[in-house]
Amino acid sequence: MQPFDTLTLMQFIWAFLAILGFSIRSNLKGIRIIFTALSGGLCWAFYLVTLYYSKSMLFSVFVAIILVCIYSEIVAPHLKTPVSVFVTCAIIPLVPGRGLFNSMQLYIAGDNLNASKTILQTLLIAGTISIAIALVSSVTNLINKLMNRF
Amino acid sequence: MPKVSSQQVLELALEIGRIILQSGGTTNRVELMMKKVCNCFGYPETESYVTPTGIFISIKDENGNIFTSIKRIENRRIDLGKITRISKMVNCMEVKPLSEQELQQQLVNFTEELKKIDNDNPWSPWIRDLCGGATSGFFCLLFGGSWMEFAVAFFIGTVVTFSLKYLERLAFNNFLLNAIAAALIVLLAKTLDIFIPYIRLDNIIIGGIMLLVPGLSITNAIRDTMSGDLVAGTARAVEALFITVGIVAGSASMLKIWSMCGF
Repeated sequence: MQPFDTLTLMQFIWAFLAILGFSIRSNLKGIRIIFTALSGGLCWAFYLVTLYYSKSMLFSVFVAIILVCIYSEIVAPHLKTPVSVFVTCAIIPLVPGRGLFNSMQLYIAGDNLNASKTILQTLLIAGTISIAIALVSSVTNLINKLMNRF
Repeated sequence: MPKVSSQQVLELALEIGRIILQSGGTTNRVELMMKKVCNCFGYPETESYVTPTGIFISIKDENGNIFTSIKRIENRRIDLGKITRISKMVNCMEVKPLSEQELQQQLVNFTEELKKIDNDNPWSPWIRDLCGGATSGFFCLLFGGSWMEFAVAFFIGTVVTFSLKYLERLAFNNFLLNAIAAALIVLLAKTLDIFIPYIRLDNIIIGGIMLLVPGLSITNAIRDTMSGDLVAGTARAVEALFITVGIVAGSASMLKIWSMCGF
């Protein structure tokens, strides 16, 4: 799979539409639903592109979440929206629902070895998402404090 | 020089805090908003302590009298629209010297607008149900489903979003709610599998589960912890963990029951 072909574009559109649905379901309205949906789509697109170049899943998740959090921090104040609303919508595509389901299925089937492997990977992805959000939000706090001082 | 009575300001601040917290805002934001409102009505010395399940606020008037009030928060659910609108409303306020009547008028306007936001639904219920279905269906496509699977996932997502509204009225806890919803997803998928040939259930069920994953709790847990609210951060993290365990328990038991029935 090439990083910038129609397949990536299709996946971007699916993620975009999924998060558009999520935003409307959680009662957002106005022009900002386009931007929250865009954050979800960009999150998945960044993930795919980084995955192609780095071949490492955790690193791709890390990079995608960091980029999309920076996007949220920049766009959210312009739309008079809390940043956490944007971040919530943006991380949904990468939350490991598939890993959760797979490990559960493997446990039911009695395959404990593979199940432990999958659940470890799920936990690692969740941890990576947390670290990336934490990093961006603390750096933003720091920048805001510095901007207020000078 | 405060001209509005402290009871009124306390009530207003608690109402703002209640709505933001019930819709799933971070505790840091609730504290900021309440402080700002009290400041605008002439009570600059305000202390508040907010956890995901309760609000404590105490304000001090010009004579040094301290008024304290607490509020218990129950039945939280995701409503990002309310958070956005209230934040926008509070951020538009400014501290300016006003006469007594103007302040009273502002308070009344504010309370009315708050009531309107609390009762208002920008989208009609069936649109939101369909959007729940769309989320589920497009996640199914995202994880490699076909168009037939998209249709099935769309149907399941719509039904689950619709029934979640009624399950929430029964006031279950979060664990049971998510377990029942996940069990419903698996049950519907397995039932439809009998009638519709050539669909893979994995993608459909994952698409449905993406409706329930605790994205909001994870975000809030991290952002609360990073802004220094350790209690709130831990509480949110445990909430996320229990939602996850609920999803897994519900879908796993339904899969097991189905395979025991022998289909």
